[in-house]
Amino acid sequence: MSELNLTDDQLDCLQELINIAMGQASDQLARYLDTFVYLKVPNIESVDAKDLMSSLSEQQNTLAVVSQGFFGHEGIRGEALLVYKEEDSGRIADLLGYEPDELSQDEQLIDISSILTTTFLNVFARQIDNQMSYNAPKLLPQVQSNLSEHVQHMPFTWDLALKVNINYQVTDYSFNCNMILLIPEKAITKIKLVLDRILLDFS
Amino acid sequence: MGNSETCAATDNAQVLTVNEHVIKQINEQVANQLNTGVLVIDHAFTIVICNRFLQVHTDKNIDDIIGENIFIAFPELPERWLARKLNAALQLNTPSFCSWEQRHHLFELPHTRPITTGSEFMAQNCTFLPIETDENGMHVCILIEDVTDVCHYQTQLQKTLDDLALMSRIDGLTQIYNRKHWQESLKQEYAKARRYDKDLSLIMLDLDYFKLLNDNYGHQCGDMVLIEVSALIDSLLRIEDIFGRYGGEEFAIIVPEAQLHGAMELAQRICKTIASTPLTYNGQELKVTISLGVAQLSDKESNYEALITLADKALYAAKHNGRNQAFSLTA
Repeated sequence: MSELNLTDDQLDCLQELINIAMGQASDQLARYLDTFVYLKVPNIESVDAKDLMSSLSEQQNTLAVVSQGFFGHEGIRGEALLVYKEEDSGRIADLLGYEPDELSQDEQLIDISSILTTTFLNVFARQIDNQMSYNAPKLLPQVQSNLSEHVQHMPFTWDLALKVNINYQVTDYSFNCNMILLIPEKAITKIKLVLDRILLDFS
Repeated sequence: MGNSETCAATDNAQVLTVNEHVIKQINEQVANQLNTGVLVIDHAFTIVICNRFLQVHTDKNIDDIIGENIFIAFPELPERWLARKLNAALQLNTPSFCSWEQRHHLFELPHTRPITTGSEFMAQNCTFLPIETDENGMHVCILIEDVTDVCHYQTQLQKTLDDLALMSRIDGLTQIYNRKHWQESLKQEYAKARRYDKDLSLIMLDLDYFKLLNDNYGHQCGDMVLIEVSALIDSLLRIEDIFGRYGGEEFAIIVPEAQLHGAMELAQRICKTIASTPLTYNGQELKVTISLGVAQLSDKESNYEALITLADKALYAAKHNGRNQAFSLTA
């Protein structure tokens, strides 16, 4: 398991790539929403399976989790989970510019999640010379009890989870969610190679 | 056979030039054989490509809808919502999705199994893929997958799960709540009453001389009496009262937000109604009465079990006093 963990340098480099990806994603988002999007520097954390499980089952007042699979070349693939808390989800409709009653809260959550995940991962993939395809996003049913169960019963075994805390401020709406990227071993090895290459270019 | 092999080997260049055309032909035929709708529109939402899937499932002619605005060709589409979705794909250069679980269908296409499903239209998963072309800029490819079967089985599964959930709460004989569910409800009502400082009363009741009834008339008669008595009691309760079968011939009613005298009134009404409603089995009239014990939650009980014990004591007292009556106790 330990050779899967990222070194400090690799983690720094990854944090930088994610900063850039998040920045570009929020820029695109701002253009699309035609409003000012302020983004705090996302905080990333790499967690192993056991720790993720316990932190997920501890997480209180989780309102919803939207899950979306992604896959690129050379075994880079995984699943993105967007985790929303109750207090952060109230004004997504306003944020997306929908009319009241135009669509259900479920659909709003799925829409914003898909936009966040795909814009972010598209930019991220480009930086590591890859290109992503996506599965349709899915809202997990009855999240309260099932989140850790879902993570345990993924259709693939994942070995590393990257937890990216995203904090968006869109004009007067503040909006907060956690993006958790679950990544299998083969993809981690590949990402580490790319990170090492980038590190070498800068040393 | 041997002839064609030499031909392919000697004229490689010609094979390659043919290939592009052949590949285009193959692509077109594959697209037309796909059991998925493929619809490509440009940035102005004008239809550029449409495969046979949509022609097969609508009575539209493909040639008529090529060059037409998608919202004119398919007036059933929710224009404002879909335009946003398409714009997201165009502007962000990211795919966008629409699942049958949120929207059963976008395009009003009949499906091939009209008898077994509830909806008259095909359930669809739609994907909106941005496509960049050299000359004409961004396009969106709309993929329309037929998921009527998935929708159908998922709906049946959900119905089965709902039925199972109901069955796990219901007593098979009397169709009122079973002991397990009733007890969980009491636990919750107890917590609510404590948290919000609300009144809570409990009625435990038992059929008088039920064993004699079974011995004299048989168990089928006993079952009939249990069913009739449960239905009768159920008809006298408020919607918020929680009525369950506690054991063989023992029943229990949770009476939320009621003080002792209110619960006692209800218990007496139930007692009188049962005693005055004649039940017949095989033409014979049966005399059925019940005894009831009533208790109200006070400061003294430290858990819901203590409330059951108290109501049980009251029930015992009602039996001891001669049956066919309600008796109340306070801690």
